[in-house]
Amino acid sequence: METAELKLQLKKQIVEFLNLMSVKPEDIKDDEPLFGEGLGLDSIDSIELIVLLGREYGINIQDPKEGRKVLVDINTMVAYIEKHRTK
Amino acid sequence: MGVISAIGNSVAQNRMSLTEGTCGINNQFDLFPTKYSGVLPFGQVKLSTDSLRGKFKIAEAGVTRTAMLALHAFNEVVEDGGLSLSDLSAADTALIGASTVGGMCLTDELYADANKQTNGSEYTSSYDCASINMYLQQRYKMNGIINTINTACSSSANAIMYGAMLIKNGLAKRAIVGGVDSLAKFTINGFNALHILSPEKCTPFDEHRKGLNLGEGAAFLLLEKEEDIAGKKVYAELSGYCNSNDAYHPSSLSEQGDGPFLSMQGALASAKLSADQVDFINAHGTGTENNDEVESKAMIRLFKKPPAFASSKANIGHTLGAAGAVEAVYSILSLVNQEVYTNLNFKDPIIATGLVPVQAYQKVSLKNVMSNSFGFGGNCSSLIFSKA
Amino acid sequence: MLYEPVDKKLCAIEPVYEGIPPGSLRRMGKAIRMGVGAALPLIKNAASLNGIIIGTANGGMEDCIKFLNQIVQYEEDMLAPGSFVQSTSNVIAAQLGLMTANKGYNITHAHLGLSFENAAIDAAMQLKEHPGHSFLLGGVDEISSFNYNIENLAGSYKDSDISNKQLYEKESPGSIAGEGAAMFLVSNNKGSAIAKVTAISTIHSKDLAAVRQQLKFFLEKNTTGDEPIDLLLTGENGDSRTLPYYAKSEELVGDSPSIARFKHMTGEYPTVSAMALWLACQVLQTQQVPQHMIKRASQTKYKNILIYNNYKGLQHSFILVTAPI
Repeated sequence: METAELKLQLKKQIVEFLNLMSVKPEDIKDDEPLFGEGLGLDSIDSIELIVLLGREYGINIQDPKEGRKVLVDINTMVAYIEKHRTK
Repeated sequence: MGVISAIGNSVAQNRMSLTEGTCGINNQFDLFPTKYSGVLPFGQVKLSTDSLRGKFKIAEAGVTRTAMLALHAFNEVVEDGGLSLSDLSAADTALIGASTVGGMCLTDELYADANKQTNGSEYTSSYDCASINMYLQQRYKMNGIINTINTACSSSANAIMYGAMLIKNGLAKRAIVGGVDSLAKFTINGFNALHILSPEKCTPFDEHRKGLNLGEGAAFLLLEKEEDIAGKKVYAELSGYCNSNDAYHPSSLSEQGDGPFLSMQGALASAKLSADQVDFINAHGTGTENNDEVESKAMIRLFKKPPAFASSKANIGHTLGAAGAVEAVYSILSLVNQEVYTNLNFKDPIIATGLVPVQAYQKVSLKNVMSNSFGFGGNCSSLIFSKA
Repeated sequence: MLYEPVDKKLCAIEPVYEGIPPGSLRRMGKAIRMGVGAALPLIKNAASLNGIIIGTANGGMEDCIKFLNQIVQYEEDMLAPGSFVQSTSNVIAAQLGLMTANKGYNITHAHLGLSFENAAIDAAMQLKEHPGHSFLLGGVDEISSFNYNIENLAGSYKDSDISNKQLYEKESPGSIAGEGAAMFLVSNNKGSAIAKVTAISTIHSKDLAAVRQQLKFFLEKNTTGDEPIDLLLTGENGDSRTLPYYAKSEELVGDSPSIARFKHMTGEYPTVSAMALWLACQVLQTQQVPQHMIKRASQTKYKNILIYNNYKGLQHSFILVTAPI
């Protein structure tokens, strides 16, 4: 899958998985911070995103702290997926 | 008092285990099939569900393990308190209990019933957290105020508070207060999904702590008014209490620990005690990174130099809805016997706070003991017991 | 306008919630949305608030089952914790505390059909201990599709669809499912109060004589010839098994008061007595009882309202609500 396509797919999955009702996937900027500012996700979301990566891409991140290095923005997530996906 | 936990089936057995530093947490979980059996440590009560059923000759359908653990502790407090059947069914005897799991210990049955996969198991009326107190009410034909509180890990501390207030307001003459929870696939998976279960035996207040161990148990205490206790065996006085909210996050405490600080401070005010009059704190001390650091900081903030403190969760695990009541019993045992029990598995203090819990069983002079329970939803409660 | 039950359920119609940030709303199950949605406007307008006291029998039941289904579907592996965190009974009170940064007394009473009554008694005791304080008091429960199945299996609902106009006519076991939230600001301040909750009494019993005795005692203690009951608001719900209790209450209050019912509007659920209290407040304010609620019209002025409700004929409550003068 092309990177651009993967980015949009991931945005759609995030919106659906986290039930971000007021957010359109295409409006999420690739370098917009997921936590704090930007999308404003919290620690429970970070765990849920790790589950998402596991279920959709076969990526198994054990330590949530490790996960937060990956879960910075769409760019970092997609880079990690492309490198580590098993699905 | 009455109690059942991973370290004993009675008050006396629990006390013996505490003085000996017994750990009731192990990897031999066998209550129901789960992926985590043999993998994660649990504080399981050493009585099987079948043996509990046999002990109480329970023939009727729909009685869960949670209800039976509650019954066990309830029986002990009734006998210890010398209550007759007519005392129990008096209109001025209240029962205030707590449970977070209720009958959901039967996770698989709940799934089948909820998804219409059965014609209705025997447990359809037993899943909610009130079902335990409803069972006790029916069994003993209780006619006073009956209530169930669910504020996660602080539930039974709040039940104790509520019972005390009923007596204070003349709505009850005596109150049997406490809580219960049994190990459930639902809670095991819930806590595991939040990554707060430790793969090893928990190490409360240790710098390298990795999380909590889940446990199960039940405890009840009998509260009565001061005017009514003449000639009776009195263990301690509930001299102060407070409930406040951290208002920060659904499942973790704020860095500055306003909730814990306010509940401890409020309990002191309620007891009309100054901080230096607390001789020992029975801490919440779950062994999670978040709780133990925040609780430590709140203790330092309030006490400046905190008194001796320890967590019993390294002995029995975190018993959730039962924790407040079980630890109230342990606090009272400390007071009655003028002793404190070891905070097990501790090696290195938390670097940010430097606090060291009680390291060995010892006899000490105690007048006032504080017991803390902090839960999900920021629900924080503190109780103070004083020497009778 | 009365809405008909669909598939034996009267579902709450949700408004567009104002004041709930999307980041919080996305996680909330219906019970939490209803509870928070009903409470926030009250809290916003309150001069001060010292605590939050909620009664709910089932909390976030839908989320509970969502998490349960995950456990089974994914065989206890890689579970998303969001619905677990939202499933506990105390999540409504906790969420309200969180959203309003309220660090005061925060508690959840979860005693099934008396959850709200116990919460109300708690509020009364808190106010006695702290006379200048004010609290949010409320009751909320949702019909979760799954909890409905369990209740249906237990025989709580009619065995087929029924119009709410026929609810009280058809003599058969079961009622219809309901859900809702009712919230109140309570204090000791008569000032701008809408109503006064003068007395509450509860009993667990299936014995008709015992329930009758409890109500008789309640009436003797709390009413006089000068201040009789003007309206008896009952939780009659079309279930033939609980009808005798309601009939007994009507007999005890005598011929003088009007009698009204409400569960054709609300359906049956454990904390529906909160809704009954809200309705009683409405009656005291407007001095009117909607025609469709009336079982017997005797009075036209309403000052003392007795609410009698029971849950499954086992948990009974009597609440006396009076005009605040």
